[in-house]
Amino acid sequence: MNPAVIFDGVVDGLQLGLLAVGLTLLYGLGGILNLAHGQIAVLGGITAALLLDAGWGALPAAAMAVVAATAAGLVLDQTIMRPVYRERGEDRILLSLLVTLGVGFVIDGLLVWRYPSEALTLRVGSGSVEVLGITMRVGSLYASAITIVAIGLVIGFLRATRAGRAVRSVIEDEVGAELVGVNPSAVRTLIFGLSGALAGLFAVTQSMTSPVTSSSGVSYTILALIVTVVGGLGSATGALLAGLILGIVNAISAAEIGSYITSIILLAAAALTILVRPSGLLGRTE
Amino acid sequence: MLEVEGLDVGYGPSTVVHGVSFTVAEGEAVAIIGSNGAGKTTTLRAIAGLLQAGAGRVNFDGHDILGEAAHVVSRRGLAYVPAERHLFGGMPVHENLALGAHPDKPDPDRLRQVYDLFPRLEERRNQTARTMSGGEQQMLAVGRALMSRPRLLILDEPTTGLAPKLASEAYAALSTLRGEGLTVLVAEQQVPLALDLADRGYVIEDGRVELDGTSEQLRGNPDVQRAYLGIA
Repeated sequence: MNPAVIFDGVVDGLQLGLLAVGLTLLYGLGGILNLAHGQIAVLGGITAALLLDAGWGALPAAAMAVVAATAAGLVLDQTIMRPVYRERGEDRILLSLLVTLGVGFVIDGLLVWRYPSEALTLRVGSGSVEVLGITMRVGSLYASAITIVAIGLVIGFLRATRAGRAVRSVIEDEVGAELVGVNPSAVRTLIFGLSGALAGLFAVTQSMTSPVTSSSGVSYTILALIVTVVGGLGSATGALLAGLILGIVNAISAAEIGSYITSIILLAAAALTILVRPSGLLGRTE
Repeated sequence: MLEVEGLDVGYGPSTVVHGVSFTVAEGEAVAIIGSNGAGKTTTLRAIAGLLQAGAGRVNFDGHDILGEAAHVVSRRGLAYVPAERHLFGGMPVHENLALGAHPDKPDPDRLRQVYDLFPRLEERRNQTARTMSGGEQQMLAVGRALMSRPRLLILDEPTTGLAPKLASEAYAALSTLRGEGLTVLVAEQQVPLALDLADRGYVIEDGRVELDGTSEQLRGNPDVQRAYLGIA
């Protein structure tokens, strides 16, 4: 097998990890499964595409993709999610599914209606370079570097800062967190914003290797869900690990069998994980 | 320090606690005793802000705290240790304690005091909370609550799931804390232990305060002896 396939898998896998981190943290934070996650990423991506059309430079446009997606996350948290937070346990999970599914449809519908042929493509550098004897597109390298730094910062934030520790305390035990003076709703707002920012960043890095079209939101959401399930809900490191594994699996199956079969293989990998390890690779076992 | 007046609490349409009133003065240890399902936990959860009360008034240190969110109540200096403990199971002991200090205020001196009170926790400082024994988890729950230097420590059934020897040890630690001047409110089914610790007690039955008095008076009361002390 061509080692470049593995490399491509790693590049894709990092992207998947970046997309899933926001989703998995939000789920860990008391059962909010955000089915609009991919659409929020695309919202950021299309914002950047429109700004590029309007003559903005690549860097400010990319920054606005992150800003727009962050804002979308924060607006969701402050408005339509409020009634969801009032529920606890399974009721909250179910209500969050229904509400965010609706939000996802709305964002997707609006984007496809208003900007049917809009897509974000960021050209960074040009051509390709040799890395370890493998020919890599410059865009892939930029995308991977940005993603590694971003995920590293998130994991560092969670592990080493006091705010990050407060976030983990809510993931571990919401009542326990309240009892030590942590305000779970403030933590949720923080993570909703962070999750949006990461989704926007995903749109930026993704667009360095393949176009982010106005209709790609649903498939991003599904990919993020698969990665989240495999990695373990609530674990940022798990999302990264699962992203890498699935990215490599995806690349190998696309090269060896054919790209038509890859989504089936990804879903099968997710199903297998649930059978063998219901809490995911790095999920919490109760 | 804590005044509870006419507290009504329920779940949905059914009221479990009816007009409960009691007080805890600064430096005092007070026990709430009663059998399983009498309404002790419900009362404490409402005071701690984890449960909405239907009616009543709770004054802590001059503030009306009823209706405030649990994290606000905690920051006022009222530390609640629930029977289920609600530890951060996937985190090591030292992180549980660090969070107890309120995440934005590290407090190494206090950590030293907690480790001195529970040397076992220091031995296990890197162990994950979930993997510890029941007695150790109870120490950690109390230790975590103490980290915030609370003015009032409220414990719900600190002996839940503990063998008799460990239950006595838990109360020995509470007694040490009392000696240091901490105000303590404890709900307990193990009445002899609770009355040994407390200055005063309230007996709750069917969501109502049926009896109150000094620990001495309660120990001498024939009804208490029959129902809770196993003396015929």
